[in-house]
Amino acid sequence: MIIENAAPAREERLKAGIAFCGTCAQLQNRLGQKDNGCLYAVNRSFSQAHGCQFTLSLGILNTLRNAVVIMHGPVGCGFCSTANIGTNKNFKKLRDPSAGGIIWLSTNLDESDVIEGGEKKLRAAVLYADREFRPEAIVVASSCVPALIGDDVDSILENLERETAAELVPVNCEGFKTKLMATAYDAVYNGVLKKLTKYRERNVYLTESELSGKLWEYERERTVNVFNVGSMSRADELEIKRLLSALELKVNFLPCFSRPDDFRAALDAALNISVCGTHDDYYLKYIHKEFNIPYVIDTMPIGKKATARWLLKIAEHFGQVERARLLIQKEEAELEQALESYREILKGKRVYVSGGEVRIFVTAEVLTDLGMEIAGFKGHHIDEFVRPVMEGLPDIDDIYINIASQHPFEQVNIVKRLNPDLLVIHTGSGNITAKHGLPVLPLFGPGYNYMGYSGVFEIARRLRRIITNNQFNRNMQKYRPAPYRSEWYAKEPSAYIKDTGTK
Amino acid sequence: MSAIIDRPRFGCPLGGALGMIRALPRTVPIVHASTGCAYNIYVGMNSGAGYLGGGYCGATSTPSSNVVEKEIVFGGEERLREQIATTLEVMDGDLYVVLSGCMVEMIGDDAQSVTDNFKNAPNPVIYVSTPGFKGNSAYGYDVVLEALAKEYVSPRKRKKADKVNVFGLIPGGDVFYKGNLREIKRLLNLIGLEANTLIGEGETLADVKNSGDAALNVVLSDVYAPLAAAAYENIHNIPSLRTPLPIGYLQTERFLRLIGGHLGIEKEIIDKALKSEQNVYFDYFERISDSYNDIDFQRYGLVVADANYAPAITEFIADELGWLPHLTVVTDELTERQQELLNKRFNNYASGVKTHIRYDSNTASVRRHLSGSWERNCNHRYYDSFSPAVVFGSVFERELAEELQAPLLTVSFPITNRVVFNRGYAGTSGGLAFAEDTFGLLVAGR
Repeated sequence: MIIENAAPAREERLKAGIAFCGTCAQLQNRLGQKDNGCLYAVNRSFSQAHGCQFTLSLGILNTLRNAVVIMHGPVGCGFCSTANIGTNKNFKKLRDPSAGGIIWLSTNLDESDVIEGGEKKLRAAVLYADREFRPEAIVVASSCVPALIGDDVDSILENLERETAAELVPVNCEGFKTKLMATAYDAVYNGVLKKLTKYRERNVYLTESELSGKLWEYERERTVNVFNVGSMSRADELEIKRLLSALELKVNFLPCFSRPDDFRAALDAALNISVCGTHDDYYLKYIHKEFNIPYVIDTMPIGKKATARWLLKIAEHFGQVERARLLIQKEEAELEQALESYREILKGKRVYVSGGEVRIFVTAEVLTDLGMEIAGFKGHHIDEFVRPVMEGLPDIDDIYINIASQHPFEQVNIVKRLNPDLLVIHTGSGNITAKHGLPVLPLFGPGYNYMGYSGVFEIARRLRRIITNNQFNRNMQKYRPAPYRSEWYAKEPSAYIKDTGTK
Repeated sequence: MSAIIDRPRFGCPLGGALGMIRALPRTVPIVHASTGCAYNIYVGMNSGAGYLGGGYCGATSTPSSNVVEKEIVFGGEERLREQIATTLEVMDGDLYVVLSGCMVEMIGDDAQSVTDNFKNAPNPVIYVSTPGFKGNSAYGYDVVLEALAKEYVSPRKRKKADKVNVFGLIPGGDVFYKGNLREIKRLLNLIGLEANTLIGEGETLADVKNSGDAALNVVLSDVYAPLAAAAYENIHNIPSLRTPLPIGYLQTERFLRLIGGHLGIEKEIIDKALKSEQNVYFDYFERISDSYNDIDFQRYGLVVADANYAPAITEFIADELGWLPHLTVVTDELTERQQELLNKRFNNYASGVKTHIRYDSNTASVRRHLSGSWERNCNHRYYDSFSPAVVFGSVFERELAEELQAPLLTVSFPITNRVVFNRGYAGTSGGLAFAEDTFGLLVAGR
């Protein structure tokens, strides 16, 4: 199977969309039509800033241990990494106490490079990274400028390979290529496929017994790779590991916080498991075809229902369904007891949930299970991976859903109409969200547990804490105005969506 | 030609521009660029500038044309026209500033003429060209202020003899800009001047608009804001006086005497102001003198900071803390002429001590410059080590500081390990805050 030079944009590959206003039933209807009802073609006449595939690629690349990332572009590209200096080091240390902080270089392209090309500086940066830091891998993330001036990064790196000790990984992730930042996952995996996904030589000893070979084989047949996401915490991983260990499976976590060599080691596994359909299909489908490792891409193990569904899918593969059922039964019973005291205070509260398409629906299941009502949804984008999770939620047909990559202007309008009691939000629009004056629970956080059974308890525990005192945001609402004209609130939230497709 | 940078401590022109607009009240940016540009800048600036936040209209509220392949191929002017028109409908601002990113500049969008179509809008809309490949955030800050001077500031023939404008601190790039401006304003008030710091506490767009009647622009930097200073000189006939950012009493005294002398303020007024500052200032300093001498609070200093902070901090720790600054790394991209200018700031210390000065933007270089200037330990029995020391830098210096077993005070972008509100290090109040934070590190374990 040929690896493309760059991963295609998701609006083309998956017909994914970023703009919609309507009910869940209307959205499902639209998704049922040919090409997802042409949602990919819908745009806005007023838009606001959100991440691009470059910034989101860094969300994964900056977590890699023992790697240096080169931002190939003008000096501002990758500036966002500043936010990861301390946090990523700490998160890496949870996986390896000796891990170092993140190191990145900028090729700092200027006006003359725009004319002459960025090759010279890219070469200098790669050699500097190799000599100065001796990393296992040097990842070159290419931004808009080298893509437009036509730098052939893959060939430049190919030619440099003999001069460096590090593996050189091109990640072609220029922002202007796609309006769907989730294309980043494919862009990163595209680079990983090109350079890091190779069979590793197994050390076979001259005196190796038949038994040790069999043991290795036995272990391989019970090893699974769980494809984590940057929004997961170590606590999430440990919970997943706990559950899968109960099925006697050995678990590797990739790609976040792994070492470059881990991608090779991961080819000795029996099953690849995604925790979120939005992330991994590009990679897992390729690995399936090329290395014959089957995969599970289904739901996200958040909430009782989704976690059970996710575990059973995995158990099915290993013929362990009965065992998994018992495990689920026991876990749910224990959790039920633990949640009892939280239900009372959370009951009947109306909540608006916004963030990634899969995550909002599985989180909604947790919230409704706790007795809360869903006031509305906002999904950052929409594609086929939402189907299994939407199916899992009954009674959502009439609930309002907005598809918007951030775009807080639509959020303020909708939240005002829906008038919820609290918000569960994706990172990035905090200062506007604060001005609703409502309690806010982040939809995810790399420092907190949301997944598995312990995750449900943690969400409940935090919700109770957060609704107990909301004074901070109330003050923000009272004293700091949002930047939107009052006329805007009178308009329909869809006023700036240019929908030329079928309804 | 610029060089590659190992962990840059500044952003692109669009970044500097957005930082400046973030600092202007009720000003709405309209970014004409690829999708991720404004968000990338927000994420970096929020965390690196001590959790500055998006403010009124930043972060994901930033209006942005989010150009993609289609516009790159067919041109983005129509998209920009649409975005400006809708922004004026949705966003509530008193001033709108269109900023351009790399892509739209490379494909040749004429953002100026598109913006000119909105001349009759109820509130002004101006355009500033800020492509990333044109420099760094210092340039972006400068070019926005230049545009304001050209297109927004009201022309005034008559100048107020006692009014000065103050600029030269890059909002966000200088994490303490707001606290610093407050202090500079206070100090200038002490010698009878009305100081307009444009983006300080309580100041509004009206202050920017009315900055044309100042007698003098005080530029608190040897290198930043050349275009803005020139625009004020050429268009508004306001000359500039460049002065380094003063930290601590000694530098403040020099600062006030320089400005006062320049504007012909009576010596008695300045003396009186300084006398009063001196009393307040050294009263606090006296507090620490007990422990300073009882415990020995003298340290070696390693300073890694931008062109504004590096000279000021180095002099402060030498001449006020009585320490031994050994190495100062200035992290901006500077021309040779600018370097020569800065070199002079490290001369003639009252203490007579000298530091090694290096100009280098690469983070890994700091360690190299230290080991190149301080004799290494070759298993000497009597090794004279670089210890005890304190590192003044950014969070990039954390690992080096740990290695040196020296405390780190983060003073220069990026500062992700502190929350900074109105703290400032400029002037006498800032000198006290600096000393407080520094000595605070030495007693932290007590």
